[in-house]
Amino acid sequence: MSATAWIELIASGLITGGIYALVALGLNLQYGLMRILNIAHGEFLMLGAYLTWAATTLLGLSPLVMLPLSFGVMFGVGVVVHRLCFKRLTETSLTLDIFEARGLMVSFGLMFLVQNLVSMVWGGDLRGYDYLTDPVHFGSMQFAANKLLVFALALLFSAGLIALLKFTLLGKGVRALMQSPTGAQLVGIDTKRLHPLMFGIGLGLSALAGCLLSMTYTIAPAMGEPYTVTALIVITLGGFGSMGGALAGGLLLGVVEALGMHFTSPSLKMLLSYGVFIAVLLLRPKGLFTRKTRDA
Amino acid sequence: MPERKVLWRDLLVLAALTGWALALPHYASEFVASLALTCFMYIALASSWALFCGLSRYLSLATSAFFGIGAYTSALALEHMPWLHAVALGALLAAAVALLMGAAVLHLRGTYFAVLTFGMTELIRHALSYFEKQVSGTVGRVLTIVPERNTVYLTVLALAVLALATSIAVRRSRFGLALAGIGSDEQRAQTLGVGTRSVKTAGFALTAAFAGAVGAAMAVRWTYIDPPTVFNPFIGFQTVLIALIGGATTLWGPLIAAIVFSLLAETLRLQLPQLYMMALGVLLILCVLHLPGGVASLRWSTFAAWWRDTRQWWRERREEDTEQERKARRQRDRETRNV
Repeated sequence: MSATAWIELIASGLITGGIYALVALGLNLQYGLMRILNIAHGEFLMLGAYLTWAATTLLGLSPLVMLPLSFGVMFGVGVVVHRLCFKRLTETSLTLDIFEARGLMVSFGLMFLVQNLVSMVWGGDLRGYDYLTDPVHFGSMQFAANKLLVFALALLFSAGLIALLKFTLLGKGVRALMQSPTGAQLVGIDTKRLHPLMFGIGLGLSALAGCLLSMTYTIAPAMGEPYTVTALIVITLGGFGSMGGALAGGLLLGVVEALGMHFTSPSLKMLLSYGVFIAVLLLRPKGLFTRKTRDA
Repeated sequence: MPERKVLWRDLLVLAALTGWALALPHYASEFVASLALTCFMYIALASSWALFCGLSRYLSLATSAFFGIGAYTSALALEHMPWLHAVALGALLAAAVALLMGAAVLHLRGTYFAVLTFGMTELIRHALSYFEKQVSGTVGRVLTIVPERNTVYLTVLALAVLALATSIAVRRSRFGLALAGIGSDEQRAQTLGVGTRSVKTAGFALTAAFAGAVGAAMAVRWTYIDPPTVFNPFIGFQTVLIALIGGATTLWGPLIAAIVFSLLAETLRLQLPQLYMMALGVLLILCVLHLPGGVASLRWSTFAAWWRDTRQWWRERREEDTEQERKARRQRDRETRNV
């Protein structure tokens, strides 16, 4: 294999990895902060993709305009869902264990609800539209313009979220809550306000990912589930609650998948992902990149 | 009610239901009989799931793995052995897989356990699909030797009754107490001398054996099976849903919910499949939020509690409103004074 082919292969892995990272960051925000393992996360990605598709084909809006719009819509949905379901769940669950189990069940319910709502409204067919399909040349390599745009935007949003958590007061509060919920409340961090906000941002991020995905791939009501699984794999790779880990894990998984699919066969893709997932969970349940001292 | 009386009541109810189910195919239409078959399948799956997962609070999502293993066993074995042997072999193989899986994951609790069992189910499904495509060169299998309709009906009925009877027996045994002890506080159970590891593994294998047997018995109903059908994660989800909505810690909850759901599924699924799934989702959410003990825990006092909660919520809202009004008035007063 020539050097160009290698670079193209790795680049295509990184492009998928960027999307994975974005989806995983949203899920990680929900699990790391609130212990909600949102199985329905991929469904909101799908909803974001469908919103973008509908606006682009019916209203003729540019998908780029839909980025903030779908983020906003999903943010609102997230706040409402949190208000209706998870607020009461937090109030009535005695221990964190019970809360996690019940939260998992609620998110299964949400998954059924959203997935079937979409397939009832828009039908089960594959949908798509063309956007920036011209190839771009870098020396002898060429990429589709929309894929490069998707990669750049995915990295931008991921970096934006990480910067938000690292450098602002709000982010400091969120990180404090992740470390110790009781301690954070003692120093005056308002859990009741931060939880819905972060749940909304998590869903908003998955809508952004869906929006980006719809620019390059065809979409279908069942597209969400594989992304949920991938996001789960990524956050186990990177460690639950670790944002930098999720970004690195996403990119890594994208590259591993691209290489694995190239050298074996595409039908092994899911087998590979699940194999990696189970191996990591069993062998390094705290993530690949965590140091041994972090015991929060 | 005293312990003994409850046992007699449970056994009597079980006997009466069994008698009715035995008589059913003789007077009802074929459609009703096949509906009943679906009912029995979910009764057996949900009851046996609740037996381990409800008591010990280990949320397993691997039911469809065991179901699929059973189905594949009977598809491959029916050519070589009689019907009942094939069903038993399905149960055995599923239990063996559960022992292996349990050895790997049963030290993990809560979400980790749930997610890992789900992941392993998918791994088995994808591995089998890949194996069939690459090595056997097929996508699915056609079942050529199929027993009579009545045999299948009786077998699945027997499995459902057996699952309920096992449930009754285990709940009164030392083993059941140990499982319940693990469910309420695993460390305490360990301190009190329960061999948690072996109890959990045995419980998991027992659940798997039932799921495997049901899978083996139900496979012949399809006559053509492939991995996506028999390892369908939805079978596992629906089992969990039924058990949870019915009440995973109760004996009769899963049975009631299984009957309701099978009826709902058969009537709604053909015309409005999406609506059925949406209803399932909403029911699940409502149930987890407002009825954590399941339908079987529903009493008159539950309604009273809901009524009280709603009234209190309403009163709090009104008080909030008046508080805000008061604040607004004070603000207005201040402004007018300043002017």
